[in-house]
Amino acid sequence: MRQPIRHLRQPGPTQYPRRLSASGAVAADLRLVLAPGSDLLSEIVERLGAIEIRHGAITILSGTLDELSYLTGQPDHSGHRVATYGAPTKLIGPVTLLGGNGILGLDQQGQALLHCHAIFADAKGRLHGGHLPPGACRIGSGGAVALVSAFDGAGFVVKPDPETNFSIFHPHLLSNPETKESIS
Amino acid sequence: MIDRVALERGQMGQMVTIRLRPNEDLVEGIELACREAGISHGIVRSAVGSLVDACLTYGDGIQKRVQGPGVEILTLSGEVRPDGKGNLRADLSGTISNPAAEVYGGRFQRGENPICITLELALQEWVPE
Repeated sequence: MRQPIRHLRQPGPTQYPRRLSASGAVAADLRLVLAPGSDLLSEIVERLGAIEIRHGAITILSGTLDELSYLTGQPDHSGHRVATYGAPTKLIGPVTLLGGNGILGLDQQGQALLHCHAIFADAKGRLHGGHLPPGACRIGSGGAVALVSAFDGAGFVVKPDPETNFSIFHPHLLSNPETKESIS
Repeated sequence: MIDRVALERGQMGQMVTIRLRPNEDLVEGIELACREAGISHGIVRSAVGSLVDACLTYGDGIQKRVQGPGVEILTLSGEVRPDGKGNLRADLSGTISNPAAEVYGGRFQRGENPICITLELALQEWVPE
């Protein structure tokens, strides 16, 4: 018997529209090479901030890490949220980055924030993957390379989401955020 | 489905930032978001999010169900294009991890990958000549 698709009841009121979008353009495409010893996420944010880029799509192309901690999701039995992060899994390198996706935007204080998930192989070749918290991924001797598409006109900003009880990225028009976001 | 070799010339167009809310289907939600944004052809440039549970296909039609909630989408690649009838169709593949930190990969099955908390998606328009 085929299992039905499970939909979860969120803790807060359902928000509409169910799909949000904002359209802009790519301001620049950049290949970013990161030096050994630095923190992967912090270094991406700092290097891009130095050239005034705070909104973009990040693709991790390659790299090694000396150590990292990553998080995976799990049910939140408190009822406050439907899911949360579990305890961090720590890996000692060399860890090989196999791929990763990141969204660069602004947090509620207007500071650049990088939300990144990645897949990697540990020193014995076992696969791992999850959410990468900032300050937890030290780049190894092989460095790391990321492809960046900087946004112009639309990006992501963190807003409270009463439905999920998380403050998370939402599409946002950078030029005129009050009037042009898509209603879906 | 690829039934013949083709070389399509075109160029990248506008960049669309998208969020899917909980219980939207990953595949159908992206198709609807493209339609609502006026995009007929799009390419996934980056995506971060989670699924309630996941259903991937690989091999000769094998389906793999991965239980969450809180299945993390690690990588997502693919495109949205119209099918022969003009309906937008998303073909999406990627990798995920479950609450036990086990990693899986495959093609995301239509209608069987409900969003858990959010999907943050950067999708760039492809403009065929």
